[in-house]
Amino acid sequence: MKFAPLFLLISVAVLIVLPWLVSGSMLNAAVQMLIAALFAMAFGLLCGQAGMLSFGHAAYFGIGAFAAVHAMNAFGGEGLLPTPLLPLVGGATGLVGGLLAGYFSTKRTGVYFAMITLALAELLHALAPHLKTVFGGEAGISSFRMPAWGIGFGGLNDVYFLTLVWTLVCIGLLYLFSKTPLGRLALGLRENAHRLRFLGYNTNALGTLIFAVSAMFAGVAGALQSINIEAANYVVLESHISTAVVLNSYIGGVRVFLGPAIGGAVMTFFGHVTSDLTRVWLLYQGIIFVLVMMFLPRGLMGELVERARNPSAEGVAQTLGTLLMRLASLAIAAFGAVFTIEFLQRLLSPEYRADITEGNWPDITLFSYDWAPLSIAPWAIGLGLFGLGIALATLINRRVAARKEAQA
Amino acid sequence: MPFFTEVSVDQILFALLNGTIYGLLLFMVSAGLTLIFGMMGVLNFAHASFYMLGAYFAYTLEPLTGFWMAIILAPILVAGIGILVERFILRHVHEHGHAHELLVTFGLAVVIAEIIKMVYGKFAVDYRVPVELNFAAFSLSGIDYPFYRLLMGGIAIVMFVAIYALLTKTRVGIVVRSAIYRPQMVEALGHNVPVVFMGVFGIGAALAGLAGAVAGAFYTTNPNMALELGVMVFVVVVVGGLGSMGGAMAASLLIGITNSLAVGSDFRIADLMAFVGMGGWADDIGGLLTMRMSSLAATLPFFIMLLVLVLRPSGLMGEKE
Repeated sequence: MKFAPLFLLISVAVLIVLPWLVSGSMLNAAVQMLIAALFAMAFGLLCGQAGMLSFGHAAYFGIGAFAAVHAMNAFGGEGLLPTPLLPLVGGATGLVGGLLAGYFSTKRTGVYFAMITLALAELLHALAPHLKTVFGGEAGISSFRMPAWGIGFGGLNDVYFLTLVWTLVCIGLLYLFSKTPLGRLALGLRENAHRLRFLGYNTNALGTLIFAVSAMFAGVAGALQSINIEAANYVVLESHISTAVVLNSYIGGVRVFLGPAIGGAVMTFFGHVTSDLTRVWLLYQGIIFVLVMMFLPRGLMGELVERARNPSAEGVAQTLGTLLMRLASLAIAAFGAVFTIEFLQRLLSPEYRADITEGNWPDITLFSYDWAPLSIAPWAIGLGLFGLGIALATLINRRVAARKEAQA
Repeated sequence: MPFFTEVSVDQILFALLNGTIYGLLLFMVSAGLTLIFGMMGVLNFAHASFYMLGAYFAYTLEPLTGFWMAIILAPILVAGIGILVERFILRHVHEHGHAHELLVTFGLAVVIAEIIKMVYGKFAVDYRVPVELNFAAFSLSGIDYPFYRLLMGGIAIVMFVAIYALLTKTRVGIVVRSAIYRPQMVEALGHNVPVVFMGVFGIGAALAGLAGAVAGAFYTTNPNMALELGVMVFVVVVVGGLGSMGGAMAASLLIGITNSLAVGSDFRIADLMAFVGMGGWADDIGGLLTMRMSSLAATLPFFIMLLVLVLRPSGLMGEKE
């Protein structure tokens, strides 16, 4: 892939000039995207490279976040470290937490490992409300960013650049880590732990180390989040944070180096954009994840890289044509599905149910039209388009299969 | 103060009984999980979601069909969903390996929870024990013991006897058990192994659904119940050893009973340290040391799990990996 360095250079350049290109709300989303990308990369190290599936990574993100807030409040608000170095505190706590949790969870492998990580995260989540001094109870802990090194850190721009620098440096470090002997051993752990043990490596210690490194970077991401919102609440320990990072990373493609980062950034972006439009974004996220797992098992980036490495024999024009047709049919199906889900969501919402009087069902506004819920039109449009899209996709698949057969 | 008063003995009896019944409930869900895992090698992350679906289906059906029909129909519906999931989703991703199957069921758990939130709202629904079943079975030192708890335990026990008999005494059971050990051989003998797998998956889902339908009325029915129970079930299978029915039973009871004993206990670690003269110091430290056992009850199963991981990583009755 000769284009990869060029592509990376352009992306970084765009990220650097971004504050001058987009609005404040978008820049805020960009900060969230960077944090999600870094968190997903930390997860990707554990899950993609070492093959250890963690369902409880929110724990390390969370302890990083709380450590950073405490560090910001240390010495009467002076801060333990100058603001730009605070993520180090998050990373250090993440590392310690990861060593501890990694010791227990790497006692088992495979599905047991996954269950233990989930249980450990739930343990922390169940303990947190009782430990008010550490986790601040219901209200959480708030803090202030102090100026440091001649930078105010009052506005969003400063925070954006702080997050950007930390994210890029950490991703760079993760890349270098993957080239170290320990990083190479992570791959070995994924592919054949038995053989590693046979070669004399202590797989338990190896797993713990890699777990800790991953938790460390998750802690940095958590600290960045605390610096951004100037607060931490035990909501960051909740399971949906762990869930989101699993979904995002796998949608992006966990075995490709930048796959998790792109998954995290893209999904966070969509979450931000759709937050005003839909209340069931998590449902879409879940559905997208299941579909990606079923039909693009390598994830979006994984599939892209695979296609680029092994271009199909049909030539660029035909491949592109098929791709466009597939995308069009999927777009039709997706529109139908979204229409139906949104319509159902509005129909089932408590506000709407309160409006229903005896036999009188008010119209529902969707896509700036009013629809009568008892008429056939909205259902026909939603389900009809969904069916049409699926039928078209099936047709295209059959034609492609037939063409391949003819060639073979 | 005497250590054991008559009241405290009765309370301990209550706690033991409650714990046993909660344990039986846990077993009902973890048994299906273990059965499916033992057979197909799939850790079904959405298993606790089937438990939740059972509760919500029964809640929806109850006004239409009455309570008893509802708790019969709900598991059947859940089994149907389980079969669809196995046939059209799991079988599709089987070629990508077990980790992939686990991830897909993880995604399904998210989707199911979100659909439940969309349809029934984010808060608990009003699913209750029917009035005719809401009476005291007996009372000890003035405290009534609800009959419904005994009923839950009874249903669980009847279910195990039925499953056990089905697996050990019938021809179907022989095919199922042999399909676990030698799927190719069973297929060569002319049995349709995919259908057997589908059936087992459906039965496992139905068991979880039944547990949900029965327990949802007694505990709360809310969109978080799948996660809360799911985590407990995972703790049970880690402690007991996945694939071992006996281990799952022992771990379920252990966790159920310790949980309910802890809920009723005011014990603090600081009190224990007072025996060695460090009580004052522990009180000063605060934090974990001065938390009452009752507020720690929710975390106790996790500590048991950590303990088992250190002492016996393969679980109480699990085989060495």
